[in-house]
Amino acid sequence: MSSMIRKGLGYTSLAVMLTAIFMVFDWAPTEAEQGIAQRIFYFHVPCAWVAFAAFGIVALASLFYLWLGERIWDDLAYAAAEIGMVFCTLVLLTGSLWAKPIWGVWWTWDSRLTTTFILWLMYGGYLLLRASADDSPQVARFAAVVGIVAALDVPIVIVSVRLWRTIHPAVLITKTGEHGLEDPRMVVTLLVSLVAFTIFFIWLLMLRFAQLRARTRLCRMGQEIALAEVRAGDA
Amino acid sequence: MTAFAAILRKDLRLELRSGESTVALLAISLLILVVMVFALDASRARGAEAAAGALWVALVFSGMLGATRAFLAERDNHCIRGLLLSPIEPSTLYAAKLAAAFTFMAIAEIGSVILMVLFFNLNFDFTLVRVVPTLALGTLGFAALATLLAAISNRTRMGDLLLPILAVPMFVPALIAGVKASSFALGGAPESAIAQWLKILVAFDVLFVSAGYLLFDYVARED
Repeated sequence: MSSMIRKGLGYTSLAVMLTAIFMVFDWAPTEAEQGIAQRIFYFHVPCAWVAFAAFGIVALASLFYLWLGERIWDDLAYAAAEIGMVFCTLVLLTGSLWAKPIWGVWWTWDSRLTTTFILWLMYGGYLLLRASADDSPQVARFAAVVGIVAALDVPIVIVSVRLWRTIHPAVLITKTGEHGLEDPRMVVTLLVSLVAFTIFFIWLLMLRFAQLRARTRLCRMGQEIALAEVRAGDA
Repeated sequence: MTAFAAILRKDLRLELRSGESTVALLAISLLILVVMVFALDASRARGAEAAAGALWVALVFSGMLGATRAFLAERDNHCIRGLLLSPIEPSTLYAAKLAAAFTFMAIAEIGSVILMVLFFNLNFDFTLVRVVPTLALGTLGFAALATLLAAISNRTRMGDLLLPILAVPMFVPALIAGVKASSFALGGAPESAIAQWLKILVAFDVLFVSAGYLLFDYVARED
């Protein structure tokens, strides 16, 4: 049943993503000031949305894991963190590619950029922690604690970074937020792209989650077999 | 409260007899400040901003060492197991470890501040007193964060290498606020300019002290 849903979701994701790509490169008009570079925006924003949604899932799943103690929440947190990290990397990369022709620099310590980068560092640490420890409930608890603490830190990061940048003189006069989607086709393209990335994300999450569930079950089975063998030996 | 006092007293006595942590922290702080003098070219980069930056780099990295050491002694001979078996709350253990880490860091910082004044050609005057609240709040926040994360990192395969990877990104808001407030305080800016950064530090401290206090149970537990 769930594999049917996954398969269906995979094909839907493919179809919507192809539509989105067509719309981004052919249907949406070219922006007057920024030219062709503006089109990366249709990928940049959905990636950011997916990354933040994934990190939100990490925080909630971590909380549920500590609360209920069921491995299913830990598997969900792990799957979401991995995928969130990929999309967060894509946000930084696409942003950088856009910034070079438009701002003239690959990177600037603007408040949004800095916040995203710190988020990337925090969840990178989270994944390194998971990778550096063996699969035990202990590691799951460690990861859950780090996931929760990182999420609690995010509001303070946002406030402090914003304050830090507003006090410093702005390096760039261009405002990041104002893209000015004056053509309705741009808005529609962005919406379709958002839907495409969301479905794609859910599909990836389900795939990875199912994989981690299977691994957890396999581990448990192995432990049970080992235990049974010991008992048989004793008898 | 008595359990808290007992653990803290044990850690302080251990430190008083061996002096290991404070000496190590002071040595690291000294070396970081020396590195910063060359990195910033102290002959040109003088003044409050460079000094505040160097001071906070020393605080973060010596603090990392302090937090690691707080659990190192417990890990040898599995002393941590004895502490966990004793009828005390893990949160009390956390509070005591936090207080010990704060004390060692504070001692090292007194040394760092003196060295900073010497290395960056500042003056021994009232401006140093104005840095005290900022440093105290920053140290408390870092000790709270690092004590919680050190308990995690020293039980993973990566070990103490993992602590900076986890702690530094999370410490960024307090680092920004601390460096700003310190450079304002050293540079003689009005109190109002410092106040908004102190607010961020207070928020950070409240958040991480309570998070550590509540979550330490999950970290310390063995199964």
